[in-house]
Amino acid sequence: MPGSDPDIPTIRFGERRLANGLRVIVAPDRLAPVVAINLWYDVGSKHERPGKTGFAHLFEHFMFQGSGHVAKTEHMAIIQGSGGVCNATTYFDRTNYFETLPSNQLEVGLWLEADRMATLLDALSQENLDNQREVVKNEKRQSYDNRPYGSFYERLMAAVFPPEHPYQHTPIGSMADLDAASPEDVRQFFRDWYAPNNCVVSIVGDVDEEETFGAAERWFGPIPANPAIAPFAAPSLPARIGREVRETVPDAVPLVRIHFGFRTPPFGAAAFDALEVAAQILAGGKGSRLHRTLVRERRIAQDVALFTLPLVSGGSICAGWATARPEADPAEVEAGFLAELDRVAAEPVSDDELARARALIEAGELAGLGRVEEVADRLSQYATLFDRPELINEQLPRYLAVDAEAIRAVAADVFRPDNRAVITFVPQAAGTGAAA
Amino acid sequence: MSGLDILARRPAPAAPREYHFPRFERARLANDLTVITAHLPGRPLLAAQLVLEGGAGHEPADLAGVTALLARALPEGTAQRDAIAFVEATERLGAELHAEAGWETVAVTLEVPRRHFGPALALLAELALQPSFPAHEVERLRDERLNDLLQSTAEPRRRVERAFAETIYAPGVPYGRLLGGDEASVPRLDRVAVAARHATLLDPSAATLIVAGDLEGLPVVTLVAEHLGSWPAGDSPAVAPGTPLPDDAGSPRLVLVDRPGSPQSELRIGHVGLPRRIPDFHAVAVMSAILGGLFNSRLQRLLREERGYTYGIGAGFDFRRSAGPFAVRTAVQTEVTAPAIADILGELRRMREAPIEAQELRDARDFLIGVFPLRFEAAAQVVGAITGLVVHGLPDDELDRYRQVVAALTEEEVHAAALAHVHPDAFSIVMVGDAERVVPGLEATGLGPLEIVREAVPTVAEEA
Repeated sequence: MPGSDPDIPTIRFGERRLANGLRVIVAPDRLAPVVAINLWYDVGSKHERPGKTGFAHLFEHFMFQGSGHVAKTEHMAIIQGSGGVCNATTYFDRTNYFETLPSNQLEVGLWLEADRMATLLDALSQENLDNQREVVKNEKRQSYDNRPYGSFYERLMAAVFPPEHPYQHTPIGSMADLDAASPEDVRQFFRDWYAPNNCVVSIVGDVDEEETFGAAERWFGPIPANPAIAPFAAPSLPARIGREVRETVPDAVPLVRIHFGFRTPPFGAAAFDALEVAAQILAGGKGSRLHRTLVRERRIAQDVALFTLPLVSGGSICAGWATARPEADPAEVEAGFLAELDRVAAEPVSDDELARARALIEAGELAGLGRVEEVADRLSQYATLFDRPELINEQLPRYLAVDAEAIRAVAADVFRPDNRAVITFVPQAAGTGAAA
Repeated sequence: MSGLDILARRPAPAAPREYHFPRFERARLANDLTVITAHLPGRPLLAAQLVLEGGAGHEPADLAGVTALLARALPEGTAQRDAIAFVEATERLGAELHAEAGWETVAVTLEVPRRHFGPALALLAELALQPSFPAHEVERLRDERLNDLLQSTAEPRRRVERAFAETIYAPGVPYGRLLGGDEASVPRLDRVAVAARHATLLDPSAATLIVAGDLEGLPVVTLVAEHLGSWPAGDSPAVAPGTPLPDDAGSPRLVLVDRPGSPQSELRIGHVGLPRRIPDFHAVAVMSAILGGLFNSRLQRLLREERGYTYGIGAGFDFRRSAGPFAVRTAVQTEVTAPAIADILGELRRMREAPIEAQELRDARDFLIGVFPLRFEAAAQVVGAITGLVVHGLPDDELDRYRQVVAALTEEEVHAAALAHVHPDAFSIVMVGDAERVVPGLEATGLGPLEIVREAVPTVAEEA
């Protein structure tokens, strides 16, 4: 393998499936007295129905509001009182729950996860629903509505995916749908999706493999499966948007920012790996092409970005932006940004650029695989999305195998005028935007 | 259902495995540079940090931001190569190398796979000792800072932090300024000012290099001597190591920066806090965890879990060489701004008036003790912690003693920390929000005269 670092660890893990369908992955790592527990439930915002957007995420909040044997707010109190940290995130394809604990507290973590998987609805109340709905609405205000350029994510997804596609709306959902959520909706969501056969649990750290499989069986084994859960059927998605989508958004911003979105092959495709390396070469640091050209040499942009999202259902998105300097002509910034993408599509990147991108990707892998929390999340990810946890050891070789021609080919395929959304945020005239 | 009965009983923890903060060793080069190494088996991504004495707090007020600009300009060209050649050389090693200014020090930070440590260390030395500060790159970074300041006017969190620091400190106190400089000072900066500032930092006897990671087979001190040994000993440092900064407080105020259309008010409530070197540091840490550090802190339980006013609220002390800010930080829905402030002030008073409950102490103590090993998984985290010891002049066993000291704290000691360091009469309240909608509620609270700052900040188009 070109340039491969002998210090990159191979993650060794064992894997079993319980009778109720729960997939358990255990990877001992004795370096520090800590253990990471990570659950991926195969349900995300893509499973939501019209009028029920934001439910997967709202539901995630209830998983911290108590269960059959855990009182409201007690989940976090037990984790923190055990010397651990925990959180959860909701994404398009999945919802994950994770905690990192001192390794002697492993069973406490498994118990908490099993209790909410088995008995969550015992604790659900209208009062909790009302409270967490307000918390989530404040999360939306804080993370999106009260931020400059805060609506770009929603707008890009809506532009790059067609109206009937589940990636068209983002996990935070709409205020109106959140307002309409009832306790019965929450109960139904749990019954529909939360079951051992729709979950992967990965346990990484200072543990004995056999004992840990035993503990997983003890805590999760009695939870009944839900045989009604069907695999997600992704609607067909054309490879390209089919036209250029353009939008201009007046907003509370001092500088013009141009956001770009392209429809791409799905995460997991070889072309997607090539696109990630292309993004590294284009915008992965101060030596990257976009930074060099627009920020350093021409000085028309304040900052630039380009990245992919790891989505699997039919296609994904490559997104980016350039913030224009105040004196720059935004049209010139847009043209300059697109010209760099075109150049990658037209001629092969140099050997040195590829070597630098590989070195940075390898160093990133050393950082990621050095953290039990990250290893556990990746094992759950590869098991959930591809049914192949061993991809954790294959992803780096896949990146390193990407060559200049693969990068050129995917760039030519993706960075096309008929496959892009261009959303330009412009400063609005003072005093025109205030709403009562 | 009988199998599920097992869930009725919470399992007891097993015996904890022993943990100690990684051991580290000191060496001193002939030029008086201190080198600290921590060998962490199995951590092949190495971290190194060169800590130079003399940060932004020590720069002249009219040149505020010069130290931050200097730090950003360090990788932009050296005696041997231009900016692009330098960044490419760094990337070929898979290295991350940059410099950052703090209030007290400037830190040059490296992360690199162990097989490339030698050449990466050479680049670190080249950046720190031989920067060329090309005028056109310095000017670009200065202009980027000015654009960044312009952007920050639209970001309520940055706007409120700036107003809060300006409010709680007396005029002229460095901590009350922006570390990166402001619209008045930044235009004055150029390569001459940057180079002059750089010269004041270059004294190896006031510098420390910290290296951590799997150092097996790596002659670290020899490599450091090779690359930093020729750094000439200085006469005397421009700033004596450990020099404290002034930290005088301003008078308590109630300040609202108007941001028409804001769906939330960004709130900061607090006063000048504490320096890091205080005898009751650990009691303060536990006290602020109970107030606003834990997920179930008093503030979180009331404002998030009971009221639903916010996505999150926190409180704590920013420990610096002199007294950094003590602040409650949150963003609340616009409509509840006044009642949220009343709730926060109530919890701050209760911190003094009501005793610490045994369960609260246990929760905070067990959390801080238990997460301690989780904080040091990566070499960079270990380097960061050792840097704290260097910056604050703390003893080498400070981190290894941390858990014992926290374990021994009593309710009374934690409550005493609240009585000594939380001062309701000194609170300033600073917010960024929609004046039209929040002023009536604020006036009704009788919190005192309200100062409203109206400036040319862009307004917000609220989504329906």
